[in-house]
Amino acid sequence: MLPGATAGRRRWLAALAALAVLAALAPLALTNAYAFRLVQLLFLNILLASAWNLVGGFAGQISFGNSSLFGVGAYATSMLWLAGFHPLWTMPAAALLAGVFGLVWGWPCLRLRGPYFAIATIGVSEATRIIVNNIEAAGGASGLTLPLEEEGGPVFLYALGAVLAVAAVVVSDSVRRSRLGLGLLALREDAAAAAASGVDVARLQTTAFVIAAALTGLGGSYYAQFTLYVVPEKVFGFDLSISMVLMVLVGGIGTVSGPLLGAAVFLFLEQFVLASLADLHLAALGAILIAIILLDPRGLAPHFQALTARVRAVFARSGAS
Amino acid sequence: MTDALAPPLLETRGLCRRFGGHTAVRSLNLALREGEVLGLIGPNGAGKTTIFNLLSGRLRPDGGKVLLRGRDLTGLPPHRTCRLGIARTFQVPRPFLSLTVYESVFVGARFGRRRPGAAPARETGELLRATGLERRRNDPVRSLNLAERKRLDLARAVATRPLVLLVDEVAAGLNPPEVKEAVELLRQVHAGGIGLIYVEHVMEAVMDLSDRVQVVEHGETIACDTPEAVARDPAVIRAYLGGGSAPGEAPA
Repeated sequence: MLPGATAGRRRWLAALAALAVLAALAPLALTNAYAFRLVQLLFLNILLASAWNLVGGFAGQISFGNSSLFGVGAYATSMLWLAGFHPLWTMPAAALLAGVFGLVWGWPCLRLRGPYFAIATIGVSEATRIIVNNIEAAGGASGLTLPLEEEGGPVFLYALGAVLAVAAVVVSDSVRRSRLGLGLLALREDAAAAAASGVDVARLQTTAFVIAAALTGLGGSYYAQFTLYVVPEKVFGFDLSISMVLMVLVGGIGTVSGPLLGAAVFLFLEQFVLASLADLHLAALGAILIAIILLDPRGLAPHFQALTARVRAVFARSGAS
Repeated sequence: MTDALAPPLLETRGLCRRFGGHTAVRSLNLALREGEVLGLIGPNGAGKTTIFNLLSGRLRPDGGKVLLRGRDLTGLPPHRTCRLGIARTFQVPRPFLSLTVYESVFVGARFGRRRPGAAPARETGELLRATGLERRRNDPVRSLNLAERKRLDLARAVATRPLVLLVDEVAAGLNPPEVKEAVELLRQVHAGGIGLIYVEHVMEAVMDLSDRVQVVEHGETIACDTPEAVARDPAVIRAYLGGGSAPGEAPA
């Protein structure tokens, strides 16, 4: 560790290094359509899981309704794109609208804690899905199809995804180390004791939720740009909300690296295991959830850290001899 | 002795709180004078913890007022009363289990003050030394025993730089030497210029520390005087201790 290097500077160096590595890997990812598809989904998963973890992990408020934020972002970009705006310029609007939508329902719902909050999030997101299903101006249940000529092409989409994923991890790490993060962890452990120590519980939770909502909305926007097709059943779907929860639980809830790890492992499971199960898909997701809770509720992150520490120790020993 | 004419540091006027048909606190008047330690005693279920919850804003009163140096705090949420100067500890410590000892106290220093500017990190370090938690600084809170958790609760509360500290049963569950240490720590906190309201079942501790003792039963004040006078009060002996023993002899 460099003496005098602050956590902030190390964070930016790490982010730049990650982007450099991702840029170097670009040719590999762009060789065939399937690999490219996987990489796009990986970037998206990292973004969504890191965003979910801000509230679900740091504040301990488990949301099963984040697809409503994703959907708002996806529809914002789609509708503005169809109205003639360049997709890239629709992204701030997607983030803003999702953030505002998050504020609108997060602020009242976050007054509830634990299972009560979780149930409220299901209600809100399902209601949102049904409403969008019935808005004819937004394509109703058949959704919206976007222009096929992808703006900027695969290289642009790869770069955009890489930046979004790295940015989400940087935001997550910044929050974790900030005053906001300290307050969130305190209120997660004991909301009444945190309030008695001066923590404005409602305000901190709402702040984290709005940040998460804006990031999730960006995820929806990115998704619309690479699938070129949005439909309420998918982008406002309950499956999507569940997958965000599962990614974080698999990787390690309440950590910065957990969502990163979980996003990758979940993508692998989804593509190579669950896809072949078809109708048993949801049952398999449930089985994974139960397995994590029974085996180790902390997820993979602590085991992964232990593994890397051991590898490092082995290298250090062989280097010394 | 304290000046009886000075305005009280913390005061309640006609404070009431009902839970359904049960009246937990009935028209309670209480006054903590500047520089004073006020003991608050009473049998189980007398309403002591409810009074703390009303003072700290965790519960809203059904009637009456809470005044801090004349400023009306009635109905403010706990984080606001904390920043205005009322800190508390809990009967059973309520630690932030996944945080380290340092982080826990830092929460109070970082969030609990009106002006957070002045060196919260340095003060957190000083409080850890004062409470004997310095060598456990980077340990997770879940590894602390009960006595350490009580000291941590106290350090976290003092880190908010309160005018008044509400202490809920610091001696419960501690052995006699630990009680002595805890009382000594409270004495230091008070010497640092913080007013104390002290709820306690261990009579020795509360009689030792308090300038005055207020006795509540069924949410009402039945006596309020110096510890010696309260200990001799026949109403207190009858209502609170039952039988004929004196408070100093028989901890409830």
